[in-house]
Amino acid sequence: MSQGNNTAVHGRKTLVQRIGGQKIIVFLVVVVLFAFFSMMSENFRKTSTIIQILDFSYYITLMSIGVTFPLITGGVDLSIGTGMICYALAGGYLFTKLNDPTNPNAMLALVAAGVALAFGILIGLLNGVLVSRMDLPPFLATLCTCMMTRGLGSLVANNSGVTWPGMQGEGFRGIFRILIPHEGGRPTIFPLGIVWILLLVILMEFVLKKTKVGRYTIAIGSNKEAAILSGINVKFYHMMAYVISGFFAGLAAVAYSAIIPTVQPGTGAGFELEAIGGAIIGGVSATGGSGSIIGSFLGVFVICLLKTGLPFIGLQANWQQIITGLVLIGAVMVDIVKARYKKP
Amino acid sequence: MQGMKQNSLVKKIGINRIVLCGVLLLMYALFCTFIKGFFGTARIMNILNYAYFLGFLSLGVTFVIATGGIDFSIGPVMFCAALISGYCLTVHGVPMALSLFISILVGFLFGVFNGYLVAFWNVPPFIVSMASMNIAKGLASVFTKTQSVSWPQAADEVNGWFRGLVKVNGFPTGLVILLAVAVVCAIVLNKTHAGRYILSLGSNKEAVRLSGVNVKKWEMLAYILCGTLAGIAAIFFVAAYTTVQPGYGDSYNNEAIAGCVMGGTSMAGGTASIGGAMIGVFIIALLQEGILALGFNKNYQLIITGLIVIVAVYVDIVMRRRKN
Amino acid sequence: MGEIILEMKQIDKSFPGVHALDHVDFAVRKGEVHALMGENGAGKSTLMKVLTGIYSKDSGSIVYEGREVAFHNPREAQEAGVVIVHQELNMVGHLTVAQNIFIGREFKKGVGIDDKRMNEEAAKLFERLRIHIDPTETMSKLTVGKQQMCEIAKAISHDAKVIVFDEPSAALTETEIEELFKIIRDLREQGLGIVYISHRMDEIKVITDRVTVMRDGCYVGTLITEECTKDDIINMMVGRVIYEDPKAKSRVAPDAPVVLKVEHLNAGKMVQDVSFELRKGEILGFSGLMGAGRTETARAIFGADEKESGEVFVNGKKVDIRTPQDAVKCGIGYLSEDRKRFGIVVQKTIAENSTMASLKRFMKGPFIDKRQERTATQAYVDSLATKTPSVDQLVVNLSGGNQQKVVIAKWLIRNCDILIFDEPTRGIDVGAKNEIYKLMNRLVEEGKSIIMISSEMTEILRMSDRILVMCEGKKTGEIAIEEASQEAIMNMATREIQV
Repeated sequence: MSQGNNTAVHGRKTLVQRIGGQKIIVFLVVVVLFAFFSMMSENFRKTSTIIQILDFSYYITLMSIGVTFPLITGGVDLSIGTGMICYALAGGYLFTKLNDPTNPNAMLALVAAGVALAFGILIGLLNGVLVSRMDLPPFLATLCTCMMTRGLGSLVANNSGVTWPGMQGEGFRGIFRILIPHEGGRPTIFPLGIVWILLLVILMEFVLKKTKVGRYTIAIGSNKEAAILSGINVKFYHMMAYVISGFFAGLAAVAYSAIIPTVQPGTGAGFELEAIGGAIIGGVSATGGSGSIIGSFLGVFVICLLKTGLPFIGLQANWQQIITGLVLIGAVMVDIVKARYKKP
Repeated sequence: MQGMKQNSLVKKIGINRIVLCGVLLLMYALFCTFIKGFFGTARIMNILNYAYFLGFLSLGVTFVIATGGIDFSIGPVMFCAALISGYCLTVHGVPMALSLFISILVGFLFGVFNGYLVAFWNVPPFIVSMASMNIAKGLASVFTKTQSVSWPQAADEVNGWFRGLVKVNGFPTGLVILLAVAVVCAIVLNKTHAGRYILSLGSNKEAVRLSGVNVKKWEMLAYILCGTLAGIAAIFFVAAYTTVQPGYGDSYNNEAIAGCVMGGTSMAGGTASIGGAMIGVFIIALLQEGILALGFNKNYQLIITGLIVIVAVYVDIVMRRRKN
Repeated sequence: MGEIILEMKQIDKSFPGVHALDHVDFAVRKGEVHALMGENGAGKSTLMKVLTGIYSKDSGSIVYEGREVAFHNPREAQEAGVVIVHQELNMVGHLTVAQNIFIGREFKKGVGIDDKRMNEEAAKLFERLRIHIDPTETMSKLTVGKQQMCEIAKAISHDAKVIVFDEPSAALTETEIEELFKIIRDLREQGLGIVYISHRMDEIKVITDRVTVMRDGCYVGTLITEECTKDDIINMMVGRVIYEDPKAKSRVAPDAPVVLKVEHLNAGKMVQDVSFELRKGEILGFSGLMGAGRTETARAIFGADEKESGEVFVNGKKVDIRTPQDAVKCGIGYLSEDRKRFGIVVQKTIAENSTMASLKRFMKGPFIDKRQERTATQAYVDSLATKTPSVDQLVVNLSGGNQQKVVIAKWLIRNCDILIFDEPTRGIDVGAKNEIYKLMNRLVEEGKSIIMISSEMTEILRMSDRILVMCEGKKTGEIAIEEASQEAIMNMATREIQV
């Protein structure tokens, strides 16, 4: 009887195994990075910096949550960056046109957010159809929609920047940061957004791990043939991955508009790298099949810390682009080497 | 006998390339009829200026797509090359000839980087493209301290000569150079063992490897050619448009890929057409000029190019499916 | 043994050029383990694919539980209770055991999936099978044997009444086989009908109640296992009349120089300590059943896959072959069993394929001399009698036999002296087969040496000067052609096990 190696299989999983080793490593990297920047720069240690990091992390995290789904199917969604800007412009344009400054209407913000989300879902649907029904390579299909959304966004906004109405901490912007007034002093900012983000991370982790949509997303990326043979409607669930990605790009658009004073058309390229890079650092396999939302969330923080921290140690902000690119390739290479070792 | 000969000529050029040529001419005719003042050398020069740099990009990416890969870092790499070399020229006072060489060198190095990762490490090409696209943008911004760079005008006594690459006394030298490079590329692709291996490995990499061919080397070469051509494209870009700004260039990826796939190069790898890519590039350039002339802005171009790529690739997929 | 639960009557199926099943009868009773045996290509798998609806039958009928049925796909068959446990496992590696077993029909709890209940149900299944697998373990972390157990559990969870095991033991260790047999016996007691496809003679004796033998797409006969001997079964399997006389005598002088010597070659589980010599002008036949490790041996020698240890000598000189490039430099050419994937580039012309391995010779400066390329290719098209209008024809338009000739031409143009032919006549019609045989004989006469991997007994006996037999990654014997017989080879190719 070969029970020798069976006992190992049967043994209770350790806590580390349950959470996943990579997530712990990434978490440690986040901590180390934070400690490093804090040590190097006095200014970095301020609350305002932390708020700034959080502010910039919201929309990247949201995109990253969404893009985790196409990545797990073995594809990619490159349209999220410019897409997000496009949706923010569309929603914001409507908002500013309908907004009456003398008579602010809270519902308008909701409508604008709805428009942004609808746009996101629509482009996600388009991506999904191109990939799952028409068999276009995912990177190519989404590269096209990436450019198309950039054009579309500029057209909708008439080529000028759009400022979603409202002040910091007011109206819908209050969803992400709350100002707690102090008597005779500057108000304290409470970054409420991180609460929503955490809730969404937990919700989407649930969707990925405990619902059909998530489970079949993993199945498609891991062994599409087996998924088809099991009678799963693979085309539908493959498409859903892109719809989710589009939907979250829409959410990201709302978060972005709440943080950034003015949304500029023609921007957005490069955000997808931060979101995808975050996901891959967080343990999503570049060839599909595995990944987690919590991992992607943690991975994004590695990138956001670098982005915010580098200027504090005297490096130009643009270094972050270079470093993000290199970190992404490094993460994929680690993945490849690991797979090589695993092969018996 | 006569019919046979004509037939083989048609076959040699390729029916879809002839159709594509027809489309190009028809589009030009339509623009000329419906847009006042579209006919004339000024417009033609604009179209040519746009076609030069795009042509080089498209030539390069044709090699990569022939291997079954992709490189959508070429636009930013082109800008990176133009910015770094331009910065050397204008700020550090590097001589013009050397600056031009630096531009090509930057493109070459990006090609080596991309090719090495794809061929030797099996990193998915889209990941490599995405990363080097941002590295190129970041590098250019860091190097130029986020300043735009303006290359010297033709009137510049010392350095103005490089504009002659594009135009000498109204004569489009750029066209001659582009076509000459295209011919060289076509020869490399169709007449040399490099091209033979690149096309073959795009079609069935494993079979080529089992024939005792060093597939990694040839796959990497395709990316190096692509990068180098992006470096050359940079020269023609600045010779036509003078100023480059860091942080941009990605919209040209799609246009170069569009020219390439329209011309009959298959995303699945294995089949590629340099001539087709050239015609495709001219269609894109004409389209861009036409859209501007109609009073629309660049954004329409982005959307239309995206649609063109989707349709062209989908047609290729359907045709392949039917064949099997 | 109970009543008949599944009966296939007069099943007939043809593919272009091949009569795959010729009016085959096959019946399974409740509570029996029924072995389905035959050489490679006898039609066992095709029959099972007809059963589960992967192929449609041309004629004949399938009666299951008293009703005539026609399943259109494996899922329909599965829902009706007919399940195949495949050799290649259809599992989603990144999901857990329980998630795999219930994929496509997950239990729900509110909006989410009830993984807890799935784990419990899976645990119950394993209990019923009396095996220990953690339902929450990730599938890819299990051994192949355990994965197979999961497939069986999945089959049972579908209320299977007939389970087909397609060479289940091929990748299992001894203890895993033991466990598998225990499960199969349990299932038999529960009244399931079990079809057991295997090449391993001794397993058949141990586990099965009846044996049905197929040969060349025909039904040969059914035996009761207890009442027959291993030799009876082998005789039925190989009882084919060999039309071509087997080679009577080796044509290679005993003192002919050794051109290729392989010593203690190891590469994974499929190549274990393989040593042999190949002499000049010799055809060395590699015989064995599917999955014996012959192709793996060839690929390891050729440098297509990594090898762990072992030495290779070409013409007495030790060589270090790490890549196919190295092998080709040593004058070794490899003709793959899977032409389409590993042999030819279908979208390229005959000339382009033929010169693939030796393009450097056809260079004129930096350019390919297409005229010379065509001339050289034409010479081989003529001498190999490749049927094609011109050398500019795309290889995709050629028949299998002619495609094979293009690959042979590729190595001949490269001037390879050692040729490894892996199933050179697979999927090729009889006429073309004979041409390939003639060609091989001519090549050895010209002083080339050939390793011929073949699963066809007739081919082995007709062509080889010496025969090497492999079984499960090990060399199990070497026979001179003078002493070779089908029975002797089959004996070495099937493994003895102690259960």
